[in-house]
Amino acid sequence: MSQSEVNKAPSAGSIVGMIIIGAAAVVGGAIIDQQKMFHGMEDSLHHMGIPLEIGKTIATIGVFLIMFKILHLFFFAPLFEAINGRTSELENTFGEAESLRNEMTQLKADYEKRISDTEASAREQIQAQIKEAQDLKKDLMADAQRKAEEYKQQAIAEIDAEKRKALVDLRIHVTNLSLQATEKILSENVDNDRNRKLIDEFLSTVEVKN
Amino acid sequence: MEFLVNSTWLMASEEVAEAGAEAAHGLSFAGLMFYIAVTLLVVVGFLAVAKTGLNTRFFKKPTTQLLEQLYVFIEGLCVNIIGPHGRKYIPMLLTLWLMIFTGNLVALILHAGPTADLSFNLAMALIAVGYVQYEGMRANGVLGHFSHFAGPRLPIAMALIITPMIFIIEIISETMKNVSLSLRLYGNIHGGHEAVVAMNKLGGGWVPVGDFLFPIKLLTCVVQALIFCLLFAVYLSLVTHHHDEGHDHGNDEGHAAPAH
Repeated sequence: MSQSEVNKAPSAGSIVGMIIIGAAAVVGGAIIDQQKMFHGMEDSLHHMGIPLEIGKTIATIGVFLIMFKILHLFFFAPLFEAINGRTSELENTFGEAESLRNEMTQLKADYEKRISDTEASAREQIQAQIKEAQDLKKDLMADAQRKAEEYKQQAIAEIDAEKRKALVDLRIHVTNLSLQATEKILSENVDNDRNRKLIDEFLSTVEVKN
Repeated sequence: MEFLVNSTWLMASEEVAEAGAEAAHGLSFAGLMFYIAVTLLVVVGFLAVAKTGLNTRFFKKPTTQLLEQLYVFIEGLCVNIIGPHGRKYIPMLLTLWLMIFTGNLVALILHAGPTADLSFNLAMALIAVGYVQYEGMRANGVLGHFSHFAGPRLPIAMALIITPMIFIIEIISETMKNVSLSLRLYGNIHGGHEAVVAMNKLGGGWVPVGDFLFPIKLLTCVVQALIFCLLFAVYLSLVTHHHDEGHDHGNDEGHAAPAH
């Protein structure tokens, strides 16, 4: 039984019917009391100390039937309507609050999902950047190593060339010195091709293999 | 000495007889209608004042708040005793409560009132019991309702003897509900007046000793209205209980339960 069913005001037919029955009962009760229709039974009850009068009872029933419908129509129905209206308004308010709460929960979940998605995306991007940087680092390192190796080889080649050049210069210088020394010793010019050949041969025998 | 005892008995019996005769007369038809009119005037006045404070927000008027409290109380009575379907009996219970409680108050203040008259109380009881029978027939059908009075289904040999007896006892029991409802209310309200009158005599006409019973009589007004409505709700619940509301009929094997 819902509250709205209680809220219903009595129908016009039931009100009119009840008022007619009630009025008939009141009039009937009055007539019974006036005519003393149950006088014998009432007297015997009075003698037993029971003050019962059927006419009054029937009239009271009639009054009650009339008043029941009138009170229901004019006072109880508006009261039920007001209370039910207030209840439904409260229910609506609570319903709205509940739907708002659900909406907020949904929004919160969406935001949290979005935040987690953003975090995941940022993490992925960072990882990709780190990977890219590491690849770049590897490339750079390899390039640098390769270049260093090239420079090193070039430097070794230059060193070798310089060393060879220095050795040639040194040999020439030593040869010159030897010739000058020999010239001084021998006081004659030994700067001829044969002497140079001899010195070279000599130097070849004493030259340290490198 | 014997003479004194006899004369005391004689005087006492005369007083009792006078009191009985006075009580037996009760209110006249016009007198009862007058007090019913006073009661209705109070009820309608209260409801009319309370109605002006009705809205769908918040009841600020004290009378409206009082009426709302009464509604909540009666609704609790209906729902707790009869069940969720009991809400439809709120108008009847509210009317009965207002009529009886206000009648009690009128009787308390004016020293005579509708509920101090047995005819009025019998009318209330007849309405209550008649309404219970009507609702029982509406809920279970005419045959279903009267089959409640026949008690449990028995083997044919026992049923021929016992079922009519149970049926008669149940009918007498239903009839006696009218007597118990009306006499209880009448006895308490009218008895309260008699007690006040008797105790006032103790004060020798100078001290109204009996009027000190006012708080107890006020309590009686509430309690008697409550008992009447409570019993009415119980009677309604017995004839309109629904099997789908969790009532366990256990071993009745689908038989109709007795009316009470």
